Amino acid sequence: MSANLQSHTVDSHTDVKIKKTNALTRWTKSLVNSKTGTVGFIIVLFVCLVAAFANHLAPHDPAAINPAKMLKPPSWLEGGEKEYFLGTDNLGRDILSRIIYGSRVSLLVGISSVILAGIIGIVVGLSSGYYGGWLDTILMRIVDSFLSIPNILFALVFLTVFGPSVPTLIVVLGVTNWVAYARIVRGETLSIKEREFVRAAKSLGVRNVTIISRHVLPNVISSFIVISTLSVATTIILEASLSFLGLGVQPPTVSWGGILSDGRDYLATSWWLATFPGVAITVTVLGIIFLGDWLRDVLDPRSQGRS
Amino acid sequence: MIKFLFKRILEFIPVLIIISFIVFSLVFVAGNPVALMLPEDASQEDIERLTVALGLDQPFIVQYGKYMLGLIQGDFGRSFRYNTDALPLVLERLPATLELAAASMVIAIIIAIPLGVWSATRKNTSMDLLATGGAVIGKAMPNFWLGIMLILLFSVTLGWFPVSGRGTMAHLVLPAITLGTGIAAEMTRLIRSSMVEILSQDYVRTAKSKGLRDFFVVYKHAFRNSLIPVVTITALQTSTLVGGALITETVFSWPGLGQLLIQAVNTRDMAIVQASVFIIAILVILMNLLADIIYRILDPRIKYS
Amino acid sequence: MAVLNVEDLHTYFKTEHGIVPSVNGVSFEVKEGETLAIVGESGSGKSVTSLSIMGLIDAPGKVEKGSILFEGSDLTKIGKKEYRKLRGNEIAMIFQEPLTSLNPLFTIGNQLSESIKLHQKVDKKTARVKSVEMLRHVGIPRAEKVFNSYPHTLSGGMRQRVMIAMALSCNPKLLIADEPTTALDVTIQAQILELMKKLAKEHSTAILLITHDLGVVAEMADKVVVMYAGQVVEYTDVYTLFSNPKHPYTKGLLNSTPKFHEIEEELESIKGTVPTPTNMPKGCKFNPRCPFAMDVCTMNEPALNETSYDHKVRCWLYEEKEAVI
Ligand SMILES: Nc1ncnc2c1ncn2[C@@H]1O[C@H](COP(=O)(O)OP(=O)(O)O)[C@@H](O)[C@H]1O
Ligand SMILES: [Mg+2]
Repeated sequence: MSANLQSHTVDSHTDVKIKKTNALTRWTKSLVNSKTGTVGFIIVLFVCLVAAFANHLAPHDPAAINPAKMLKPPSWLEGGEKEYFLGTDNLGRDILSRIIYGSRVSLLVGISSVILAGIIGIVVGLSSGYYGGWLDTILMRIVDSFLSIPNILFALVFLTVFGPSVPTLIVVLGVTNWVAYARIVRGETLSIKEREFVRAAKSLGVRNVTIISRHVLPNVISSFIVISTLSVATTIILEASLSFLGLGVQPPTVSWGGILSDGRDYLATSWWLATFPGVAITVTVLGIIFLGDWLRDVLDPRSQGRS
Repeated sequence: MIKFLFKRILEFIPVLIIISFIVFSLVFVAGNPVALMLPEDASQEDIERLTVALGLDQPFIVQYGKYMLGLIQGDFGRSFRYNTDALPLVLERLPATLELAAASMVIAIIIAIPLGVWSATRKNTSMDLLATGGAVIGKAMPNFWLGIMLILLFSVTLGWFPVSGRGTMAHLVLPAITLGTGIAAEMTRLIRSSMVEILSQDYVRTAKSKGLRDFFVVYKHAFRNSLIPVVTITALQTSTLVGGALITETVFSWPGLGQLLIQAVNTRDMAIVQASVFIIAILVILMNLLADIIYRILDPRIKYS
Repeated sequence: MAVLNVEDLHTYFKTEHGIVPSVNGVSFEVKEGETLAIVGESGSGKSVTSLSIMGLIDAPGKVEKGSILFEGSDLTKIGKKEYRKLRGNEIAMIFQEPLTSLNPLFTIGNQLSESIKLHQKVDKKTARVKSVEMLRHVGIPRAEKVFNSYPHTLSGGMRQRVMIAMALSCNPKLLIADEPTTALDVTIQAQILELMKKLAKEHSTAILLITHDLGVVAEMADKVVVMYAGQVVEYTDVYTLFSNPKHPYTKGLLNSTPKFHEIEEELESIKGTVPTPTNMPKGCKFNPRCPFAMDVCTMNEPALNETSYDHKVRCWLYEEKEAVI
């Protein structure tokens, strides 16, 4: 019996390996075939590399104030200076360097809060679907409540109470985003709970929370990846909005929303301040959306060609 | 229909209670606001006296009970900054926000319906690519940045529209476009994918086989069907719309709820923050209900049970 | 005179896997008041043929070659507007799926009077009267009430009756029915076929009946076209087809239909499946499944030849005989 089992595991192991390499080539192929997917992948990879190597890539110290170089236009415009490719801000800081460093906060907040949201969503969805009853009712009403408060509003209230900082931002954006995950996990848990093997396990006295979570997660993983990707995009916008309102990332930490907020006061004279950080946000978010759309097509064949 | 409405309205009650609980807990955690209410040179005794007078020294559950009791009577607390009841202040700002939201919705619909239908009927042509590409870019652009760019172009450079404020139609144009673009982008994508699916349905082929003109086939037989998912999903995005309005108002100094709220957040005027959250939540819930009603009108297959 | 004359029709789909020749050189004619049946397994190109006649092939599909003569004018050459005038008026079509072929958001009356208003240029009131009359005519009880109801309140059989009412409302010269009874219960099937037969006779409407069921063919048809992999493999009148089938595929179809096989035990289905358009065998398209396949069958494609009067077959078995004679 045990030998049998073992050989079975070995078999399935090699099986998995073969499947994995096949999947890899299949994915690469499909990525190359999808133009927007390729573009999205390249953009996202580029932004990640920029964030990782910001200190090597940035031509200037993003915080270095230089009163002699205030509000210089981009180097390729009249009056621009060669070393400031995208011009300088009201304190003479290099915009390009600030944008390069700003990518760090955007990605950090975007990705970590989505991970946090995923964890909350799994816990809530599993307990809601598994225990059912009044717990489910209450949790689902909480989900409804979150759906009727705009994310940004919730974040504003939260940040007012706990004060703006990067960790608070991650927590608050995580707490505003978990709803979507909770719903899928709950649905999947409900359907798996009814299956024969889970019932059998229950009658044998096995703790079936373990079983269910082991079966739920593989089934929701693809929806998870797609939602997470697109969620990173909206979170980056949300973070920038909050920073723009002065309630997000606080100086001296550089963020795209923050640069934009500074630039808003100099719109009449120095348009580049407010323009380039916005371009950075838009391009990054666009890349993530493209990547997410492609992932959805690959992971969910039903949606193929829909969008 | 009445029964259905009644049932739906009953469902709101727990949601509103939960919202009140979340908001109240947050404010409770925020700590004693008395120091902010009194002049800076107030003595420690003054602070304590006011704390007791306002009942802020009592345990959480007592305070929450009082708060709920107030809510039921329509008392959302007093704004210490304006020194009046919070609710009238919030309601006073509501029309401006609704005006902006409605105008944006109209713009979004005007852009999204023809564009979505048009690109669905020309699926995979270069024009379709252009339309869907535009929609994705519209979705990727942060609202506030688009607003600033519009100000830069149309107010600062061209001088066509005022930079900020409310009053004339001209004031409304840029904020409405700003807020409308984001919704239009999402809606275009939705309408397109919904239309693409509907256009391949058997009844559309039946309509064509009758010799109807393409226009009728698309707008009579396909479009109404494709609206059903669009209405549902758009309603679910009311909260995004309101969220966008808050930011857009800040960018254009539009004297709506958003502006009041951001001020209140900055001065920690919690009564206004609480009342705003509540009013906005009710607004979102009502929009969802409206969508549910429209949905039922659009689809005769649904029974009011 | 022939109402419809299809000549060497080719309809191709350009897909990402290459060009799919769904209809590949099909010819037949339908005379006034006559019923022509097209039979063949699923995927043989029957629906594409009928949609080509209706002018309803959408991109990526296209009628590449051939002509479709309807009352003498070539439908492949007329403009969009002229085509629309014929559709639903002179040529009408009934589809396979009654459950999904009616728009769920409009009443039966709305959808039925739509084509009457369009083609007969009558006002709303007249269209209504005519529609209700049409509903009665196709045997729908409480026609007034059904006029105002939505499709989801009707059964499949009733909905197919509505479709027939809709198709016949403008007295078409040609009715195309693409598997009109496939989705229905056996008893309802018989009723619907009976109804079609009766109405067609009354108005001497020609019918192009698409089916994969030889029972339906025996019931309804005057002439039969047997299609395989986008081509006509046998074409004759219904008596000849059943008494003297020639193509091995036709024989196979007959053998696999209980009604037409005397010895119950020998009932057998044709081995294998219809080849996919991108994976067509060389030579005769039926050769991998054919019990009589010869060397020549795997190399060259046979032509559709008239082996005897009004009996055409696409098979090397008969070409050789002819050559010998
Ligand atoms: N829109 C389409 N795109 C690509 N191929 C198609 C399309 N419609 C039909 N075909 C192909 O044409 C062939 C014939 O289909 P059809 O006419 O529907 O067969 P049937 O005889 O069952 O009615 C099939 O192989 C099908 O794959
Ligand atoms: Mg078919």
